Amino acid sequence: MAAARNIHKLYCKLFLLALFEPLTQQKENTMRLGILGLAIAVLGLSACNNTGTGDGSTSASGKDEMLVIFSSRHYDSDYALYDAFEKETGIDVRTIEADGDLLVERLKADGARSPADVIVTVDAGRLWRAEQEDLFAPLKSDTLTEQVPAAMRHPDGFWYGLATRARVLVYAKDRVKEGELAGYETLADPAFKGRVCARSSGNIYNISLLAALIDRWGSDKAQQWATGVANNFARDPLGGDTDQIKAVAAGECDVALVNHYYFARLMRDDKDKGVVKDLAVFWPNAGEGVHVNVSGAGVAKNAPNPELARRFIEFAMTEQPQRFFAELTNEYPAVSSITYDNAALKELGDFKADPISLSKLGENQAEAQQLFDRAGWR
Amino acid sequence: MALTDRALPARRMFGAQTSVRRWRGIGPAPVGIAAALICTLPVLALIPMAFAGGGAHISHLLDTQLADYALNSAALVCIAIAGTWLLGVPTAWITTRYEFPGRRLFLIALPLPLAMPSYIAAYAWLSMTAAAGPVHDALGGFFPTVSGIAGAGFVFSICLYPYVFLLARQAFESHGVNSFEAARTLGASPMRAFWKISLPLARPSIMAGMALVVMETLADYGTVDFLGTPTFTVGILRAWISFGDPDAAARLALILLILTLIVFGGERVLRRGRSVSEIGGRSKPQRRVRLSARTALLAAICCAVPVLLGLAAPVAHLIMLALETQPVRSPLDALQGTMLVASLSALIAVTIGLGAAYAARTGGWFAQASVRAAHAGYAVPGAVAALGVIAMLAAVQSLFDGFSGWTAPLITGGGLAALLFAYQARFAAAAIGPCESALARITPTMDQAARSLGASRWSVIRRIHVPMAFSGIATAALLVFIEVMKELPATMILRPLDFETLAVSAHHYASDERLAQTALPSLMLVLLGLPVMMLVSWLVTRRQAESAS
Repeated sequence: MAAARNIHKLYCKLFLLALFEPLTQQKENTMRLGILGLAIAVLGLSACNNTGTGDGSTSASGKDEMLVIFSSRHYDSDYALYDAFEKETGIDVRTIEADGDLLVERLKADGARSPADVIVTVDAGRLWRAEQEDLFAPLKSDTLTEQVPAAMRHPDGFWYGLATRARVLVYAKDRVKEGELAGYETLADPAFKGRVCARSSGNIYNISLLAALIDRWGSDKAQQWATGVANNFARDPLGGDTDQIKAVAAGECDVALVNHYYFARLMRDDKDKGVVKDLAVFWPNAGEGVHVNVSGAGVAKNAPNPELARRFIEFAMTEQPQRFFAELTNEYPAVSSITYDNAALKELGDFKADPISLSKLGENQAEAQQLFDRAGWR
Repeated sequence: MALTDRALPARRMFGAQTSVRRWRGIGPAPVGIAAALICTLPVLALIPMAFAGGGAHISHLLDTQLADYALNSAALVCIAIAGTWLLGVPTAWITTRYEFPGRRLFLIALPLPLAMPSYIAAYAWLSMTAAAGPVHDALGGFFPTVSGIAGAGFVFSICLYPYVFLLARQAFESHGVNSFEAARTLGASPMRAFWKISLPLARPSIMAGMALVVMETLADYGTVDFLGTPTFTVGILRAWISFGDPDAAARLALILLILTLIVFGGERVLRRGRSVSEIGGRSKPQRRVRLSARTALLAAICCAVPVLLGLAAPVAHLIMLALETQPVRSPLDALQGTMLVASLSALIAVTIGLGAAYAARTGGWFAQASVRAAHAGYAVPGAVAALGVIAMLAAVQSLFDGFSGWTAPLITGGGLAALLFAYQARFAAAAIGPCESALARITPTMDQAARSLGASRWSVIRRIHVPMAFSGIATAALLVFIEVMKELPATMILRPLDFETLAVSAHHYASDERLAQTALPSLMLVLLGLPVMMLVSWLVTRRQAESAS
């Protein structure tokens, strides 16, 4: 592997030379050098081909064990998890990280030849879609069944939840009294006209929330809610969740709809602490409870090394990696017995999670976007 | 060959003419067709997808947001055209025509904002101008928050004007001052001479730059989504991501593409018969007009504003953020990855671009049409283009399976090949445009003169075209390098295992809303673009000095 990387480095230098050299030479030599550059480029291509397939063959021999992870997560906790797994087992972890939907398309195109062993993705809706596309192989593991609560794994073992995040309300303590807030309904309350901030409706966090609300309230009421929220906006949807929190802090709006860990991250950042000092999180516990979404991992259907994949997923549920999720990315670990050291999460307190079956989030996804479109939530 | 040429001039001349006739439409045409195939195959792969799905989501979109999306796109394109023209053309003219303190510095600095990906500029500008941002605080809320249509138009203008600047300047420089001075002698005011002579002469180059601006604006997703301006491309991506319907996305992307092609086709038809080329061989070198202190200050301010908006302000903000943050991962691997793919792609694209431009120049209508078609890939949103490449590679793979039982996974097993192919599909057009306008400087009479003096086809290319078109070709390589450096969706999905680029790392942090962590890879992107840009600025000036001596 190291040799392959060195070769890559060498070629990198050669390519740069090939690109710039012709530009600096006298014009008579330009053509010749251009042709030389092309020849090098062709050589480089074939070399890249060799390193690509070469990696595959060494792992097939079993000497140099390799686990390939396709992930749509790219957090510090995940890198820590990969490093810990490599250290623990000596297995070489290789990754491709890309947005969930692109990942699904590549897995589909690679088909039976896909090098992926483990698929990790951020949202229950995306896990559902990967399942619909038949990308997972079922994994039966007593350890996992025991550790991961039933609500956080697929009934047939297609995927297991790693960590969860909650969609909460953030409000300005001086302008909103906690008593005014009842739940997600409050955002659509006419009393909050011109006081609400949220990000755009194409965002998966909003779609999953509305998908859950469709299941909870039925389509008609969910439509009314989306329209009500869109009518209450202080400004057109803009930026990410952190931008909504900052807008509340700056007085542009009084209440915002965001994921809890953006708030926790601001609380823990020395520089950004000031942003959240006059703000608070409201847990919409009423009724079914707080909408939570899950990141999950499953064994790829055509995994070259399904056994390594199982080891990896089981490893991810052990104490240290589960603590990474809580301590490095402020998520809630899937394994509830884990204790972790994160003062910000402690301060946010406990909440009641909506026990909805997570596959509903996927099933209602398209309808949720339709309701948003009709509501004029951009 | 040169000897026989001289020995038998008459025969050679005759032979040359027949060979021109015989090879017309065939000679370099295969290159043009190959270029067209590379650029259009991924788009063609979208067609069966577009016809595969049902129309439920499209009719839903028609009922709800589609008109809004289309209007936003149209408005954004208008703002971007106006903005890039205002920032690009006057600065190109000032730096070509006038001498003032700092001119050489601006020559280097003005193209630099191109190294700033527009989505990074959007993050930086929003965080600077939103409530509690440094610009907002410093100016007491006087500077409006960069958001919505106006904000997105602003970001595209400041990030994309270098296309217009570079190509316009190249045209102004190379056309010399003969016609301009002739017009002045005949009593035209400088303004009138500029509008009536210099601008029309530079028009093909300016249009090539504008075409890139329009297509990038239409295809952009990151910036408009972040700034809350849902355009047609946002609609396309939502059809895919929210509705889980890549087929509907493919169909919408094709509609966008067809609309774009109609617009550009119309522009070409309007331009036909109005093309201007300067007759009279070598033009005099530029003699710059020295400005008085007051006008020089004005010129300097004119040139400083785009650099300040597009580069200095966002970079300063990013530096502040980077200094306050500990990097989580070393960005060196990503830097190396970026350099590898960007330089390789620049080499390949220039080859394709030159071949295609020659085909369009010397070939028949078929070759010309193929080259026009090659521009198609550029107007498709990056993520959808990547989808097309995946679909195409999957089809090729199943073809191979049928033939030989060869079972290497094409995307993963091919190392960088799939990725490099995707870059060409998307960016070869960025090279064809500048290559074409570089060759447009060489009038057909020059070819004819050289050929009648007995020069072979190759020696015309080598001894006339390459030296004359060199700065244009270098510009083409630069543009592709920069484009590939910034490209995101195709890189993300088609890269080999454990292969990282700066744009991908920057995106990872940005999508996780960690602007401070985004700062370092973004800065490195800009720093990598810097020497490339300076090299080209230097090249252009040197060519000018050469032709003067």
